[in-house]
Amino acid sequence: MNELINELKLKLIEALNLEGMTPDDIPNDAPLFGEGGLGLDSIDVLELIVLLEKNYGIRLATPQEGKNVFKSVAVMADYVAANRTK
Amino acid sequence: MKEAVIPAGTNLSALYRSLGADYPKFFKMDTLSKLGFLLAEMLVGEEDGRFGQREDRAVLVFSREGCIADDLHYAQSMKDFPSPALFVYTLPNIVAGEIAIRNKFAGETGAYVIDGFDGELIRELSSLAFQDKTTREILVAWIDCPSDSSWNAKAWLCNEAQINEIKAFTI
Repeated sequence: MNELINELKLKLIEALNLEGMTPDDIPNDAPLFGEGGLGLDSIDVLELIVLLEKNYGIRLATPQEGKNVFKSVAVMADYVAANRTK
Repeated sequence: MKEAVIPAGTNLSALYRSLGADYPKFFKMDTLSKLGFLLAEMLVGEEDGRFGQREDRAVLVFSREGCIADDLHYAQSMKDFPSPALFVYTLPNIVAGEIAIRNKFAGETGAYVIDGFDGELIRELSSLAFQDKTTREILVAWIDCPSDSSWNAKAWLCNEAQINEIKAFTI
């Protein structure tokens, strides 16, 4: 799981242009949105939906579903591990 | 009149850091908006009272190519997975909005795609912004960015008395 978490962090940094950040700057359980998180916005949610489909073959039905999946990198990793098709 | 220019080929990330701006969204912007953002930083970045609401400031951006570079990038991405973040920038007026949001300029924002740099036309269109009786200064920019590595980017901060000088501007 740690390997997947690190992989997701690298893909997040690349997909969201988080310039200057490294995987170590993103705590596994830190919220991705809102206060104390990475400060991502609604467009970032859409990019994350694309990221899941492109890299793991996971299609989220609605952005609302993403709210549960994108709570933190650790939650994302659990979801990817359970639902990936590639 | 204050003037700013960003020569083609400038490392925009390095320029961002040299200006001391703290605005992580910069790195999510397209090249057109990065140029607009940086030109504005160069013009007003060291002003007293920075980030106070400015009802009296307008932003007008002019270019020939508009957002063609983003349009092409987005068309390319549609062959695989279209990028929502890229799609956001497939409108040439986004750069004016980015400048206004960053600097809290609450006056008119506008983006004009014209045949080429035309000082008289830019002066004429810019002068209209002063008719609202609130606008006291306009950030006028010529940002032509046909690709991510080639551009012509220049901006001026001018008041109504200075607007007639625009027709003498060169790029």
